[in-house]
Amino acid sequence: MSHQLPAILFLLPLFAAISMPVVCLKHRHWSQPISVAILAAMVLISILNLHNVIQHGEVRYVFSGWTVPLGIEWVADGLASIILVLLSILGLLGVVFTVPTFQKSLGGRVVHYYTLILLLVSALVGMVFTRDLFNLFVFLEVAAISSYALIGVAGGRALFAAFRYLVLGTLGASLYLLGVSYLYAVTGTLNMADIADRLPLLLSSKALIGGLLFMFMGLGIKMALVPFHAWMPEAYTHAPESVSPILASLVTKVALLGWIRITYWVLGAPIVIFNIPILLLVAALGTLAAIIGAFLALAQRNIKMMFAYGGISHIGIILIGLGQGNQTGFAGGIFYLLNDAVMQAALFFLAGVAFCQYGVRTIDDLGRVGKQAPWLTGCLIVMALGMIGLPPTGGFFGKWYIILGALEAGNYVSVAAVLLSTLLTLAYFVKLFEAIFRQSSTQLDVQPGEIPLSFKWTLGITSAAIILFGLFSAPIVQLLLNHALPPSL
Amino acid sequence: MVEAFFAVFQRPNFLTFVIVFLWGFYIMVTRYNLVKKLIGMYLVQTSVIFFLVSISVKKGATIPVLLSTTEPVQAANYANPLPHVLTLTAIVVGVATLGVGLALCAAIYRKYGSLDEEEILERLE
Repeated sequence: MSHQLPAILFLLPLFAAISMPVVCLKHRHWSQPISVAILAAMVLISILNLHNVIQHGEVRYVFSGWTVPLGIEWVADGLASIILVLLSILGLLGVVFTVPTFQKSLGGRVVHYYTLILLLVSALVGMVFTRDLFNLFVFLEVAAISSYALIGVAGGRALFAAFRYLVLGTLGASLYLLGVSYLYAVTGTLNMADIADRLPLLLSSKALIGGLLFMFMGLGIKMALVPFHAWMPEAYTHAPESVSPILASLVTKVALLGWIRITYWVLGAPIVIFNIPILLLVAALGTLAAIIGAFLALAQRNIKMMFAYGGISHIGIILIGLGQGNQTGFAGGIFYLLNDAVMQAALFFLAGVAFCQYGVRTIDDLGRVGKQAPWLTGCLIVMALGMIGLPPTGGFFGKWYIILGALEAGNYVSVAAVLLSTLLTLAYFVKLFEAIFRQSSTQLDVQPGEIPLSFKWTLGITSAAIILFGLFSAPIVQLLLNHALPPSL
Repeated sequence: MVEAFFAVFQRPNFLTFVIVFLWGFYIMVTRYNLVKKLIGMYLVQTSVIFFLVSISVKKGATIPVLLSTTEPVQAANYANPLPHVLTLTAIVVGVATLGVGLALCAAIYRKYGSLDEEEILERLE
């Protein structure tokens, strides 16, 4: 039974998504309980799967019995299982967050919304588990198509943002597919381990360089790496309030996981192609993203826009950690990835609550309600501590391990980049707090009603998780070091 | 230099791929009409699929069903089935993306009464 868990984790949300429009055709109000039940079951199964992987080692799943180089292989290793637990928990929180107020904002499209969310989750599960480059492309596109539709589901300005995301995202997917076909032409296989076996003989091949370049560009667009990030803030800002937390926390991070798989599982850490160490390139791109993203966040007035740019700079910090090529840096990067997924979800939950309850869109609006919503401000302070990286939160320990890894590798530019990005993050949160605490409170535009329980739950759980990540950073990093390291480190 | 120039024409299918890809990309970047952007996007996708097909062509090969079960398998006699499957999947993915894109275009037209990017941006302000 336990070796079937990866397939069950994927099929559960997929079948739920497919049957949702039929089952809920007459009974719209069933859609939320069904989605919550499916995602709660996924949380349990993914924890079971993680336990199983820790106890008995990784699970290899081969579809319909075709052996490895021929068939599509899924591997539930430590890294995939840990990320999957996070993914299902955040998905569950995202669906719980969608209370009746949001159902009004989604119009009559409630059933479509839940169908797309479940489809998105199943595609992300596929992306986490797969060890086949083309399979990764398919799930990347399934996830992307559900995200386009989810962003556009509310109509209005979001439609245009979704369209731009669609055009750029498809360009990214085409580039990725082009890269995969180059690699297929060179190696004759699509399985990651199989390609890794054949690569040492091909290091001087120009097709390999071209293929890798196209793949990294394609995935770079999907994960909003800095030169290719233009679609992301707009899409996440105009997306419905209940959609942006899930997209911001999961889609870009799982695309980043695809990048990690290719860098470490296909290429291997110490690889040097045409005198260019790949990891140095990763660290350099991360440095750029960390600094430029934070600068752009500093310039924003719209809070969702600011958080989205913050996410872009954090992707850079994760890449800096991964680019150090040692165990500390890798574990720090992955730890920061987990942490950042929670922080992004928390920030967009907060932005959603602030808009739905108080009509807050910009920093100035936030100043008007600051003192009248102490619990909102309290959660914001916790999230800000996490984003900046102050000691009791997970953000601090993530950056700590990343800096330790960079020092170990003697890479002082990376250390400086992480510190500079931290300072800039501090600057934009200071801007936020200045708006909240300096202005004298005036009358509210919107009379806040009773705050729905699900808002309190989601904000409370994510804020608590940011602190818990800090308190339990040592065991989590130890878990990552024991079970999630790539074979080449 | 001259040799490199002629070497390009040795492989006309790769040349076609490059032209179609860049053409699609050019349309995506320069046209303001949203449907034209989608056409450019579809050209890009199709060019990649064309590339995938052209690298996996095998002359004089038959369908991948064994001609004889007793003789040893001669791989050169059979076409590789994998690229076909990849191509089909990529086409399906492309069609799905195009469908979502056209649906978004239709919704944008209903909302703003225009498909011109600049006009829509003016109305968004």
